[in-house]
Amino acid sequence: MLFRIDASPNRATAWTLSWFLFAAGIALYFYTAHNRHVENPEDKVVPSLRQLGQGLSDSILKPDSEQEAPDDQATMSLAKKFFTSMLWTDTVASAKRFAWAMLLLIPAVMLGLHMGMFPVFGQFFLRFILFFDKIIALSVLPILFIAFGIDELSKIMLIVIGVTPTIILDTFNLAKSVPQEQIVKGFTLGAQDFGVAYRIVLRQIMPRVLNSIRLNLKSIMLFLFAGEMIASQDGLAFRIALLRRHMGMNVIIPYVLWVALLLFLVDLTMRVANRKLHPWFREA
Amino acid sequence: MSELIRLDKIGVEYRIHGHAPKKVLESLDLTIAPGEFIAVCGQTGCGKSTMLRLILGAERPSAGRVLIDGLELPRPDRNRGYVPQKYSLFPDKTVLDNITFGPEMEEFGLLRRLTPRFQRRRRELRDAAYGYLKQMGLRESDANKYPDQLSGGMQQRVAIAQALIMRPKILLMDEAFSALDPATRADMQKLVRTLWAETGTTILFVTHNIAEALYLGTRVIVLGKDNPDASAKVVFELSVPDSARSASGYPCRDEIERMTKLIEDAAMSGRLEVEMAEFAG
Repeated sequence: MLFRIDASPNRATAWTLSWFLFAAGIALYFYTAHNRHVENPEDKVVPSLRQLGQGLSDSILKPDSEQEAPDDQATMSLAKKFFTSMLWTDTVASAKRFAWAMLLLIPAVMLGLHMGMFPVFGQFFLRFILFFDKIIALSVLPILFIAFGIDELSKIMLIVIGVTPTIILDTFNLAKSVPQEQIVKGFTLGAQDFGVAYRIVLRQIMPRVLNSIRLNLKSIMLFLFAGEMIASQDGLAFRIALLRRHMGMNVIIPYVLWVALLLFLVDLTMRVANRKLHPWFREA
Repeated sequence: MSELIRLDKIGVEYRIHGHAPKKVLESLDLTIAPGEFIAVCGQTGCGKSTMLRLILGAERPSAGRVLIDGLELPRPDRNRGYVPQKYSLFPDKTVLDNITFGPEMEEFGLLRRLTPRFQRRRRELRDAAYGYLKQMGLRESDANKYPDQLSGGMQQRVAIAQALIMRPKILLMDEAFSALDPATRADMQKLVRTLWAETGTTILFVTHNIAEALYLGTRVIVLGKDNPDASAKVVFELSVPDSARSASGYPCRDEIERMTKLIEDAAMSGRLEVEMAEFAG
């Protein structure tokens, strides 16, 4: 049954199978936590449920401990507490950088499209971008800090250098792979160069470009986190790096799960948007 | 005889790096008058699609000139409609949007699409598109489908409508029905004959099927080559007079057999595909 290609487990079995590793992981965690707390009730490495709860409530209800607490902290509504909390301010700081990086992907997509459509444009940029693509973004991080300072710009540039060449080259290839028939057809229907590029080719490759960006979300996050961990005063990764020094596992674990949830939601949003915007597109 | 298309000593060769240039066509001369229905056939790789692409302007000859109305045109334009075998429709647009795409592109730039005049014109074009749909034998309910929801035959019907709404001087069809099943193919052939008779558009139809060429064309041109390495040339040219056609529009069976034999003898290799079964009806 186990190694049968034509096996077809029923719904209950499929459900059990797919959740089993989650359950096992959680069980193993709390078993370890329990054992460690028997030996040392103050253990911080594997926090107990109570400690995790404390860490979570501290993160979502209290502001950053290094900042001054507002005077009316005790009397604030729950929602207000949340929107001044450490987790929320960190999320907003990281989200801003993420949004900038996503925004800068728009010119990247346009560059790739033009390179794919207009040979002169393509020749001008292609070799350089292929070279640029091979540079390990993290290796230029010191240069970025020296050139752009250690504020926002260098962190956004890190993401741009790390991810845009991939997106540019991917869009370039997608634009190139549109069948010649479609382009000739566009001309015979009275379209001019930009009409063909924007109204035929771009529209056709858009869902694939979005998929390509979805696949690169993790790279974007990776560069964002690297920048924040090394030089930042706020942000989700800054907090995780900071709390490592205090062994703040009870906050780090909720943060890690929160980041995973956020990324999942961004991905889901893009997937749903892709399907709604391009109902004609049939491909995973 | 007035001429619409003129191929003047056309030569085409492809240079593949590290190989000797491969000659596809050599000193090809051809004149096509307005209103003709030219069927071009020949075996695979004999340059018939190349010839079509030359007239379309999608390819340039290495020697000689392609003249449309006496002019050399640098690239495809709205006067030459195109129906390829594959990728004939824009996959991201509905049937209706595919048909109205041409006039919309031609009449309205990016900014002018924002004007109220565009909305008015769009409605007119949509009405016109419904007219074409009906003429092509499609239902109104198909108008909002995407191309991949249609069968191959229906896709080609839409592609023809998309080309015809531009009222091109020349309609170029490259193996347009080769991927269709025989029954659909016969329907499509009838449709194209009817449209040709109604609109008077000059049509150049490339096919590897002799029967199809004989049914469709007022003139059949057979391209072939003496040996596999030689370049292709016109090996046979034949007018199909209306007197040779029966009431159904198909040439009479005896005529077809006689002409097919002529063509096969001329094309030598005998690899031309003949589907006589299609004429049984």
